[in-house]
Amino acid sequence: MADRRRINGPTGGTSAPVFSKYVIKSPEDGSDRPSRTRPGNVPRKMFLKTGVTPSASGSAYLELEASKQSLTSTRGLASLSTSGLKLTCTVHGPRPLPKSAPFSPHIILSTHVKYAPFATRKRRGYIRDSTERDLGVHLETALRGVIIGDRWPKSGVDVIITILEGEEDQWWGDDRGRAAAGAEEWGMMSVLSGCVTVASAAIVDAGIDCVDVVSGGVAAIIREPKGSLMSTMLVLDPVPSEHQEILAACVVAYLPGRDEITDIWVRGEIGPLRSNEKSFSYEDLANNAVQAALGSHRVLVGALKETADMKMHR
Amino acid sequence: MSRHKLVKNLDLDEELDDYDGDEYGYDEAGEGGGLEELSEEDQENMREGTIKVREALPTGTALDSITDKEIQEALWHYYYDVGKSVTYLLNTYSKAAKKAEPKKKKGRSSYLIASGVMFSQAGEGALGSLADLEDLAREDDDSMVQHCSKSFNFAEFFKDTPWFNVPIERQAVLIPPLYPRGGLLGGSSDGAPKMSKLQALAAARRKKAQEQKSESISEVDKPMASLSLGPSTGKAHDTSLDREHSQSAVEQKPVSRGFPLRKRKNSNPHEKAPKAPPIEVEPTQEREEMDLDQAQNDQASPSAFASTMFGSATTSHRKPENIFTMPYTATIVATSPTDAFAGPSPDDVVLAAQSKASKKGGKDSSKTPKTNGEKKADQIASGVEAMKLDDTPRAKSKNLDVLAEYEKAKTKNAANFVVIGHVDAGKSTLMGRLLYDLNVVDERTVERYRKDSEKLGKSSFALAWVLDQGTEERARGVTIDIAMNKFETEKTAFTILDAPGHRDFIPNMIAGASQADFAVLVIDASTGSFESGLKGQTKEHALLVRSMGVQRIIIAVNKLDTVSWSKDRFDEISQQVSAFLIQAGFQQKNISFVPCSGLQGDNIARKSTEPAGLWYTGRTLVEELDNSEPITRALTKPLRLTIDNIFRGGIQNPLSISGRIEAGSLQTGDALLAQPAKEKCFIKGLEVDQEPADWAVAGQNVTVHLSDIDPIHLRVGDVLCSPSAPINSIKHFTAKVLAFEFLMPMQIDVHRGRMHVAGRIKEIVAVLDKSTGAIQKKKPKIVKPGTVARVVVELDHAVPLEAPSRVVLRSNGDTVAAGLLE
Repeated sequence: MADRRRINGPTGGTSAPVFSKYVIKSPEDGSDRPSRTRPGNVPRKMFLKTGVTPSASGSAYLELEASKQSLTSTRGLASLSTSGLKLTCTVHGPRPLPKSAPFSPHIILSTHVKYAPFATRKRRGYIRDSTERDLGVHLETALRGVIIGDRWPKSGVDVIITILEGEEDQWWGDDRGRAAAGAEEWGMMSVLSGCVTVASAAIVDAGIDCVDVVSGGVAAIIREPKGSLMSTMLVLDPVPSEHQEILAACVVAYLPGRDEITDIWVRGEIGPLRSNEKSFSYEDLANNAVQAALGSHRVLVGALKETADMKMHR
Repeated sequence: MSRHKLVKNLDLDEELDDYDGDEYGYDEAGEGGGLEELSEEDQENMREGTIKVREALPTGTALDSITDKEIQEALWHYYYDVGKSVTYLLNTYSKAAKKAEPKKKKGRSSYLIASGVMFSQAGEGALGSLADLEDLAREDDDSMVQHCSKSFNFAEFFKDTPWFNVPIERQAVLIPPLYPRGGLLGGSSDGAPKMSKLQALAAARRKKAQEQKSESISEVDKPMASLSLGPSTGKAHDTSLDREHSQSAVEQKPVSRGFPLRKRKNSNPHEKAPKAPPIEVEPTQEREEMDLDQAQNDQASPSAFASTMFGSATTSHRKPENIFTMPYTATIVATSPTDAFAGPSPDDVVLAAQSKASKKGGKDSSKTPKTNGEKKADQIASGVEAMKLDDTPRAKSKNLDVLAEYEKAKTKNAANFVVIGHVDAGKSTLMGRLLYDLNVVDERTVERYRKDSEKLGKSSFALAWVLDQGTEERARGVTIDIAMNKFETEKTAFTILDAPGHRDFIPNMIAGASQADFAVLVIDASTGSFESGLKGQTKEHALLVRSMGVQRIIIAVNKLDTVSWSKDRFDEISQQVSAFLIQAGFQQKNISFVPCSGLQGDNIARKSTEPAGLWYTGRTLVEELDNSEPITRALTKPLRLTIDNIFRGGIQNPLSISGRIEAGSLQTGDALLAQPAKEKCFIKGLEVDQEPADWAVAGQNVTVHLSDIDPIHLRVGDVLCSPSAPINSIKHFTAKVLAFEFLMPMQIDVHRGRMHVAGRIKEIVAVLDKSTGAIQKKKPKIVKPGTVARVVVELDHAVPLEAPSRVVLRSNGDTVAAGLLE
């Protein structure tokens, strides 16, 4: 049992204070609220580069641009700006397993996902918490289906992802104003999809044989005001801070060459909807997530081609 | 003679001379023997070859002096290949001639071999091609020695070299080490190693044999040929050591990378699938052509951060050609490891040879190679083997209708009660006496405790030791953690939760009280003790159990023997306590008082025998307990089980937990969800009251053996629930609380049973009326003790909580409020 006789400091992370002088408008009036500027079927632009860490056998860096808000007042804290996504991935291996490890006829894949302490507006701890472990497990399932494991018996490969900038779970104004119990971790979905794509690039960079390159994609069903009414909509690559309410979201890890899904994760519930709202099925959600995955696949292939060209001195 | 002397007497020169002579002698003998063995056919070949070589050699140079013997030797080495022999002779003898004339050529490059790296000095010209280098290496043998022997000043060499961004012309040029090549030196135009005599002979013989035999290919050969890595031609592949073939593979190397080309599937079958495209996605015609453009579209330019990190690197990454890092070589030499796969592998060769041998013997090989189908089956089998998961068997569910079973079993009423009160009020002793009188513990055990406690000089604690099992508890004479025990009367099966009275262990008391249906408040009647108790934990405990939802309370006025069973004292205490309890929210009818003595055992299981205490005619404590109404349980609600204790390391059951089922039911084989870890697990086995059982229902204290979960996901205070109706982990909640202290937005600890988590009061929404619940004041700055308020609490971690559950808020070791989740 934990020691209850002592008075311990707060165990979790702390939020950086937001001083009112930087907040020009109160968050409640909502005029500062960011909104989605791109159409529903267009994912964010992605920057992907492989071979960024010289000491690793394979590495990649992925970045999703933070959407530029033209309307917002330019003054303010950087931490209040809308979030982007920055991930770096290193792959070490295939390397021999330690002597103590039992024999394995195929490669032992281990994945680590860690938020940097400064990755989100609320600081993260130094020890991996349950969300990070969760991401690691999902990533492992996504990659396990791609790597041809039995080409490396008795060896292991470590995939390590550091999240330098993580997607926020909601707009900071919502976070601050309400004590909403339903603060679901929507940011995690985009992070996972990015993790899959960046890990795939790094694995290719490490030269590990795969059946195909896997890429991640997210789609979500959102509810937002349209005129006076609320309406639901399906969007690719949602940015949680841009939407007032996300009903459900789906991440897939997709192999375009084989039309296979190695990992799928749906969060939230679609129904019950109000009478005038358009209804969607979970299949629609998954299909659109696949479309998003195809988008990131194109970037992935482009980045890999670029690296290959560079290596061949073309 | 000793060995030492023998060594001393050795003539070193003589020994060495002997050795040299021996070796040369052997070589000559070997070669001579080789020539002697020439067959007639070979001799004829040799003669013709010599003539041809003579014709091919240019005349008028130093080459004229080449003797027949030298030509024949060359021919022998190249197996009568005239062209190669001529090249070899030219190279050898023209070089020898050159060497003779004084060499005044300026050293084209000088080498400095320092720590295995070769530096090219700046300004001394670019390097020649690799072929040149090889020649140079041989030619400049002696000049190199001269260079190196010159005194060389390192400081001067590195004088103006910066630490970073070394200009390209000053950078190290790493030259692949000159590996000894296989085969013979010099000669041939292509750099492949030559065959040995034996190999050549074998190849020739095999070729002949091949020609004689028709083109029939062995069963094994076919798959082998298709497996071979080289660019396979239409003709059946000769998997022997055919060097011609492997050479052609080497030449083709840069074109095909040596890996089997796989047939690609359509790269985007999903998009081309005939099914209707998902809504709101643009039509997918001409996707293929658009792909590249779109990739450009999707690709973002790096952000400021990324361009700082990697932006400049792209240009400088381009390395000049022919400059290598150490372990690799530029042009693919036959010795490089990638080439090892160009030809058939040694295994293939052996297999092919074996199959051939068996063919030649004319007998059908008994070991027929595996057919395609068998092979496939093998592959699948090995694949399945690789995929094997955890093989511990999962307990099978019997699919019982637990509620029906429960109805059938019709067990006695079960009730849990918590024993509370100020420290040293005699809670544990009272319960020890109760168990002793009801024969739950035998006399010998109590006798032993009595003896042991006397040794420590605490004879009055003997009965308390029945419940206080821990060594620390016994040594200090205080209960630290909840002690659980059971006894049965005719009507009901009771579980005692003996709570610690000390203020340091209130969290443990909360854990116990959260499992209780009703409470027994023990009050010390001795002079002074009651008064201090009422100020202390008597009050706090009573308030806590009330806010934990306990309705019924029995007050055992203990230690009446110390005040000689004074009725006045009892009445005084009853009056004060009932006034306080009613104020705390208990109803008059749910409060009952029993005067008793834990040490003597009066009015606990038996009526008092003290003559001074005969004035009390009411029920004894046990009768009063029995009088409690059966409690209705939430059997049909979804399962909720708070983990009270985790046991690890058992051999049969590596992971077990215990706890009380708060709602719902479970049975062996059920899947459970552990919150907040969100991990699924399965029930492997079940114990109710230390007896194996197949099912359990709300209200029972169970031990559950779990499988398929890592223990790190479970912690004391976590909730196991049914996966179909899981409890949610939340970080914020609103609660209606009764304040015991001043409340303001502050750091608090939220307790619910065993679970506790740090958090803070974020907002005080309103002060409410105690009885009606109407809002009295909105957004107060502070809440006074004794008032009811609605507060918003934010937690540090998400924890499984749901309305309506009761929570206790503590701060700095004091209970500040308790209330109900909304």
